[in-house]
Amino acid sequence: MEWKLFADLAELAGDRTVPVAADPGDTVGDALDALLADRPDLRDRVLEDGDLADHINLLRNGQNVIHQDGLATELEAGDELALFPPVSGG
Amino acid sequence: MQPIAVLGSGADSLATRLTDRIEGRVVRIDRVTDTDLGPTETTADAAVRFTAGGDWNARGADADADLTTLLDRFAPAYDYAVITGETRLRVPTVLVGDDRDAEDVPGDVIATVPEPSAIDVAELLAALEGAEPWITLEELIDRAKADPLAERSGAIASFTGRVRAKDAPDDDRTSQLAFEAYEGVAADRMDAIAAELEERDGVFRVLLHHRTGVIPDGEDIVFVVVLAGHREEAFRTVADGIDRLKEEVPIFKKETTESEQFWVHQR
Repeated sequence: MEWKLFADLAELAGDRTVPVAADPGDTVGDALDALLADRPDLRDRVLEDGDLADHINLLRNGQNVIHQDGLATELEAGDELALFPPVSGG
Repeated sequence: MQPIAVLGSGADSLATRLTDRIEGRVVRIDRVTDTDLGPTETTADAAVRFTAGGDWNARGADADADLTTLLDRFAPAYDYAVITGETRLRVPTVLVGDDRDAEDVPGDVIATVPEPSAIDVAELLAALEGAEPWITLEELIDRAKADPLAERSGAIASFTGRVRAKDAPDDDRTSQLAFEAYEGVAADRMDAIAAELEERDGVFRVLLHHRTGVIPDGEDIVFVVVLAGHREEAFRTVADGIDRLKEEVPIFKKETTESEQFWVHQR
């Protein structure tokens, strides 16, 4: 599974994409744990009291996981995961 | 319109090959030295020479501003612009027999070759597929006017977002904004916003376009165009369109001022 990171999250991680060891059947939370274990500088930026901070967006296949089962959402083959801060276009 | 710049000693030859191979309407634009522009002697800031046969050339105080003007002019009716000569514009660029580093060229370098024959034109055109097209407000308005429902429309409203140098007179000057988009998802969100707004009564067509990459102060960032039956729906929908784009579309901006650089969402 691969994470796509944006803006200051990509800068903190040092990469725009980070592959992690998470497979179909694992959860989004497992993939996030694997990401933060691999890129510890991201941890304080995206977590608040152990949970995903409110202002951080986590998308699975273009949809925010808060509209799915949150971090408990199960991964399927070919999923695209993305993590980004509040949007600021325009 | 998709612009592509070709720079270096072999630029003319490659630009010709490229133009021959492209399917669609192509405008070829060459930046040449002053002496090639003909003998107009004038103190005017800009000079245009044209013939009854449709040939013309123009000279202005600011050559780069002129190239922007030319691209704006041709964008609505042409599929590609093949450009030779130096420019500060951020268009996809091919270096042919040019030793410069990619960082020293304003646009993204999509290929570097020692001579024109070393390039596969089909591959080059494929590399252009993902590049950002040159879209103008005028082109979006033309598309709105060409809509089958345009005969029921009495109003077009548009919004243009641009890079503001100063928010107050004593502000640090903003020199540029750099935009990064979640490609694919950003386009899907903009399509979804347009489709939802088009469901409103009396709203026939909504077009959204957001540029990415580095945009200097004073230049345009985003356009919203609404084709509607009456001005009330047009004004309301254009305002909601830009508000929703700013709230929902995964695009991020980094601001550079005289004294610092920062991600705007962190302020």
